[in-house]
Amino acid sequence: MHDSWRARVLPAAFFCCLAALPGRAQAPARPSPPIPRMPDGKPNFTGLWQALGTANWDIRDHSSHAGPFFQLGAVGAEPAGQGIVEGGDIPYTPKAAAQQQENYKNRLKLDPEVKCYMPGIPRANYMGFPFQIIQSQKDIAFAYEYATSNRVVNMGKFIDPSTDTWMGTSNGHWEGDTLVVDVSGLNGNSWFDRAGNFQTENTHIVERFRMADADHINYEATIDDSTIYTRPWKISTVLYRRKEKNAQLNEFKCVEYAEELIYGDLVKK
Amino acid sequence: MRRRLFVPAAALAAAAAVFVMAAGQAAAQAAKPAAAKSWVQPKTPWGDPDLQGTWTSDDCIGTPLNRPASFGDRLYYTEQELANRENQLERQRQNDLQETVAPNQRVGTGPPSHWGERARRPCRQTSLVIDPPNGHVPDMTAAARLLPVPEGAGNNNPKADSYTDFSYYIRCITRGVPGSIFPVIYGNGQQIVQGKGFVSIMEEMVHEARIIPLDGRPHVGSKVRSYMGDSRGHWEGNTLVVETTNFLGNRTGIVGNGGGTPTSDALKTVERFTRVGPNEMHYEITLDDPKTWVRPFTVGFPLTIEPGYRNFEYACHEGNYAMFDSLSGARAQEKKAAAAKAAAK
Amino acid sequence: MKKTLVFAVAVGAVLAGAVPMWAHHAFAAEFDADKPVKFKGTVTKMEWINPHAWIHIDVKGDDGKVTPWMVEAAAPNALLRRGWTKKDLLAGTEIVVEGFQAKDGANRANGSVIMFTDGRKLFVGSSAGDPGAAPGTTFKDK
Repeated sequence: MHDSWRARVLPAAFFCCLAALPGRAQAPARPSPPIPRMPDGKPNFTGLWQALGTANWDIRDHSSHAGPFFQLGAVGAEPAGQGIVEGGDIPYTPKAAAQQQENYKNRLKLDPEVKCYMPGIPRANYMGFPFQIIQSQKDIAFAYEYATSNRVVNMGKFIDPSTDTWMGTSNGHWEGDTLVVDVSGLNGNSWFDRAGNFQTENTHIVERFRMADADHINYEATIDDSTIYTRPWKISTVLYRRKEKNAQLNEFKCVEYAEELIYGDLVKK
Repeated sequence: MRRRLFVPAAALAAAAAVFVMAAGQAAAQAAKPAAAKSWVQPKTPWGDPDLQGTWTSDDCIGTPLNRPASFGDRLYYTEQELANRENQLERQRQNDLQETVAPNQRVGTGPPSHWGERARRPCRQTSLVIDPPNGHVPDMTAAARLLPVPEGAGNNNPKADSYTDFSYYIRCITRGVPGSIFPVIYGNGQQIVQGKGFVSIMEEMVHEARIIPLDGRPHVGSKVRSYMGDSRGHWEGNTLVVETTNFLGNRTGIVGNGGGTPTSDALKTVERFTRVGPNEMHYEITLDDPKTWVRPFTVGFPLTIEPGYRNFEYACHEGNYAMFDSLSGARAQEKKAAAAKAAAK
Repeated sequence: MKKTLVFAVAVGAVLAGAVPMWAHHAFAAEFDADKPVKFKGTVTKMEWINPHAWIHIDVKGDDGKVTPWMVEAAAPNALLRRGWTKKDLLAGTEIVVEGFQAKDGANRANGSVIMFTDGRKLFVGSSAGDPGAAPGTTFKDK
């Protein structure tokens, strides 16, 4: 009897109250926080951001793999992940495709990340480390936690690269609410990931940062380099605002972690 | 085409007021920046004092940390002394512009003169230490005096057993907080970019990015320690005050690119950045490290914005042939010595 | 008296634990003061890297044999601010180098003096002079 009361009254009460509410389409939805803006109306990207996913392992689709050292067990193994390359494949020339395979085979020796070399663009944006953006009314600074890499996006008159660098020369402008960043003068030493996908000193990149809402940036980069790719290609992923109350950029000065690897042979026995 | 001694006088009037003391007047304290009559502190669109730009400490290249005893408590040069220093700078300029190599040009293992960047106007200070009044870094504690000092240069036969024998700068790791801003022979760029709630300083060597939150959040917990410490900033009028704690300790010092006796994990620094004109800023840092020095002290010098001056990437570790070469050189010499010893038997 | 003061200041600056002018690099660890070298060579390429740029040159011996050497130059940052860029030292240029050889005996030298064959300095100019700074940046643009 108890149960049948419940079976009849409670649902009735429930539907009664539901009926009293406005229709679902009109129920007040929880509003997403508005995009923060600068006094001049431009979106304000200032904040601590980080990519999720596994693009730093491999920007293409990939299964999980054992790691190179059995001693690390599951800790050194590679997780599976969906790629961030639009269309799925990187349009390498045949020679470049072979080069990528060689890179992969020798990745422990060749991946600049292992040696704590600066990761270049776009890789710095989707590593397993956060980065701080500080946007002024003039320029926009990006401070990446990994290897204390950083760059300042010049928003004034276009600056030509005076020389090739690891982090490139970044010149930005607005297209509506999208921050468009032209990256040139890369020295070609950086990889896109740990899987040997690579660039050259002819690589030119155009990034687009657009806030989907206050806590998410849709990040895209178009890569062109006719010396190794048959056409320009694009990556796209999401950058997430770090929301923990105490979240901040920390220090990862990894040169010390790589010194024995790099110089160990030359140390006095 | 030849540059004038100073940037347009009107623009520097306020700055000059800060740094010029009448001849013979003892500078008993750090000069507080005088308020300019013709120059107004610009503000960012969100209302913070605007300190942005690429600044350099080039003008005080070569100024010693510690004041030569002959100056006593005098922080500033007299007009005559400044004129002499300007003549020296001018002679250096002429030398730099000399198209041909001088017949008696010295050849050495050290950095040739053309490696260095130059002051554009004579540094007005007799020392970089501005407090205590005698312009000297205070005495070190007994414990600090015993600490091993990593090798910079100037040692004619440096020990090179391992990369750990060298300074953190030569290892391309860091120069620490004071070391990343004190003037050295090149690479003195400091680019300030401000955002709502933050100030960032991109320091050319070794590509540091100091991130300074302004929202009053507490420092990180004591277990999170770093080479460049943990900085928190706030405004006092138009002055940016930055307090930094949580240093790792026993890494970098304050002498030449962060060399010398390393400071400890007890170090606390307080920096003050005050813009005194469109192209000039007064910078001070008070270092308080009871494990290293018997009392706190303050170092200060001007930073300037110069036409055409900007930061360039200083990738360092990625191209550090010097480390390979130093270690390889030492191993080769040991081999040679061992072979000679064996042959002598 | 003024002269003495200036001299004393200069000397004092060096002796009084001053910020050393050269305390940034372990030169003595890299190069051997007992192995002076002087040679003429043809530039093959210049590596604009940090901490220092390196100029690669081919040196032709008396026997006609060509030996590659690399010569340490200033930090690109300083060169760029003096107005020097990659294009200013092209492959094929003949230069004369005076310095000291690497301690490990390799064909490396510090470029204590680097000049063209007619005695003109390679990296003439002062960063403190007028902007001859790297192209594309002028103070007015900011």
